[in-house]
Amino acid sequence: MAYQLYRNTTSGNSLQESLEELIRGSLNIYRFCDNVWTFVLNDVEFREVTELIKVDKVKIVACDGKNSGSNTTE
Amino acid sequence: APPTLLTLGPPPMEEEQAYLELYLDQCAAQDDLAPPRSLLLSPVVPDDGYIPNTSNSETVFNSHLEEVKASGHFSSVDLSFLPDELTQENKDQSVIRSKQDIEENCETPGQQSRMLLPREQDVGLGLISGSTLLNSHSQVYPGDADPVQPSPEKPNCTPLMSITPMTPVTPVSECSGIVPQLQNIVSTVNLACKLDLKKIALHAKNAEYNPKRFAAVIMRIREPRTTALIFSSGKMVCTGAKSEEQSRLAARKYARVVQKLGFPARFLDFKIQNMVGSCDVRFPIRLEGLVLTHQQFSSYEPELFPGLIYRMVKPRIVLLIFVSGKVVLTGAKERSEIYEAFENIYPILKGFKKA
Repeated sequence: MAYQLYRNTTSGNSLQESLEELIRGSLNIYRFCDNVWTFVLNDVEFREVTELIKVDKVKIVACDGKNSGSNTTE
Repeated sequence: APPTLLTLGPPPMEEEQAYLELYLDQCAAQDDLAPPRSLLLSPVVPDDGYIPNTSNSETVFNSHLEEVKASGHFSSVDLSFLPDELTQENKDQSVIRSKQDIEENCETPGQQSRMLLPREQDVGLGLISGSTLLNSHSQVYPGDADPVQPSPEKPNCTPLMSITPMTPVTPVSECSGIVPQLQNIVSTVNLACKLDLKKIALHAKNAEYNPKRFAAVIMRIREPRTTALIFSSGKMVCTGAKSEEQSRLAARKYARVVQKLGFPARFLDFKIQNMVGSCDVRFPIRLEGLVLTHQQFSSYEPELFPGLIYRMVKPRIVLLIFVSGKVVLTGAKERSEIYEAFENIYPILKGFKKA
């Protein structure tokens, strides 16, 4: 799936989905290097059934893998 | 006083209507006998009442040649046009028609000759005086690297004497009134220094780099909304802009990002490689009919792709034509080619309007 998206961008006629996400949502920065995705989001709401957490800045670091990727937030 | 020539730089405002006017103005501006805008508004003068002074026109026209050569931006220049005796159904129509007739006269077969062949069948055009203008004009194509396209910009033009098959011209041409909108511009530039892609991917914002997949960094910026492919050689491709100026500006922004990361980036040989436009003729089209009559140019395989692929020879543009009436034009190096291709195809499409 991710590779399919990638194939679009390598053709040079990318759908600019990431940028649309940037405009629509709160995604500030994204990075993909050494198979590691890094995202920085601003003004995010984490919603759980019981709780609601609002945060100014979230950094997500995600690795590809058979097991679920590791996530850290700050 | 001769009207000033407009250089073909994009105006600051991104109004497509403004672009169409600019395009038409440049066509009209070649008329050294009347100011540009009034050409479209003034009534057509009967031929016998309107005999241009040849020597006068030539002098004025030659001064135009100097301007055109100096401007450097023009790759195609329209002729001074003369009104003809066509009835005044439509002021625009008659203006465009006479332009087209001039074009048919100036159109040269093949690539070699640039000498004008006056046509006897276009009697009512007073072209004896016009032909000297056209002769001197036909040498002027300053920025035109492509010898196959000696013709100036015009709404509807095809050479009638040609070995290669040309899109057939319909005698009655109308200004379509529709301006194709540019959707995508692809450009390239050379930053002229070797780049460490991993360093760029790690330090730049909004960058992707997966060397196993593709040997370039994919970077994006918000304004203008574009995507760049940056290669380790220092060469870069910039896609997604909606105008020539935006494409250049975006490429400059990417170059600045690379520069700020510590590379001695320059901005060499910026060039627009492809332009894509689209528009809507607002009526359904009989694609099967079109592919039958224009089979040298068309390919239509509805089971493969719902659009008809029309490969126009002059200008060299590929059009995707859909039953709905939507048209995509691509393959242009310049905006004018998109406009010209659409003005060429519009009367043909009208001939295949459904029911």
